[in-house]
Amino acid sequence: MGKGGWPFAVAGLGLALLVWGSIWGLAFAPREQYMGDVQRIMYVHVPTAWNALLALTFGFGCAVAFLLRGGWRWDARHEAAIEVGVVLGALLCFQGAIWAKPTWGVWWDWDPRLTTTAVMVFAFSGILALRRFVEDPARRAVWSAVATVIAFVDVPIVYFSVNWWNSLHQLQSTPATVSSAFHWPLRINAFGVLFLMSGWIWLRARLAAERLEGELAPPLGGIELAQRQPLGGTS
Amino acid sequence: MSGILTGGWEFVWAAYGVTAAVLAGYTLSLVVRLRSERLRREREASRASEVSS
Repeated sequence: MGKGGWPFAVAGLGLALLVWGSIWGLAFAPREQYMGDVQRIMYVHVPTAWNALLALTFGFGCAVAFLLRGGWRWDARHEAAIEVGVVLGALLCFQGAIWAKPTWGVWWDWDPRLTTTAVMVFAFSGILALRRFVEDPARRAVWSAVATVIAFVDVPIVYFSVNWWNSLHQLQSTPATVSSAFHWPLRINAFGVLFLMSGWIWLRARLAAERLEGELAPPLGGIELAQRQPLGGTS
Repeated sequence: MSGILTGGWEFVWAAYGVTAAVLAGYTLSLVVRLRSERLRREREASRASEVSS
């Protein structure tokens, strides 16, 4: 396989795992005692949550690496990870709302976990918007990296919010809080979303790097044009 | 009320449907954006070679 095909292979493996884990979760995993079949939403909701936080953490690492060491590759990876984190974070909110309606009776509640997650998604969406508005690549990279470091403060708050405050949302899903009958589809889907997210970040970083290359290159044929057509010359 | 949920498959299908749509949509958007960026670069490269020749 050529170098260009690896991210597609990783994303494809992720999709295959997701299909496997979802079929297991929908058809073969047992019904949960209190939530019944609605609990099956967990097999996509929880992996999405873990990987949204992971993508944003990777983005934070890339932002710090860019600020400390420089290098456009870190900026490209930063942009990629933030975008993927926002996509997964937004999906997480929709899945959560669909789960909340039958279990809590409402689509949304200003509960600590939900509120901090919404703040996280909007904060990182703002950083993506900032990157669209700033044309100078150097300023864009520095400003968005600093903004990511600030916005990242919310990520551990999202994770620990269910421990720190009284929350409608259940505790984190770990082997200690999830019955062993539900482990396998959850784990398979967690790795599925992990591989898919990695492939996405890889591809999106490649796109960001190609765009950056275009932005940082001298104007198209500028030198040759200037040599062939001195100022005042006709086109 | 027993406190035990019954039914609810419509919510399960909705959640899996939204997930599939978002995952497929974002994958497709990445492929389209990568392809259009490649095309743009190829156009620029061919223009640059025309200018220099």
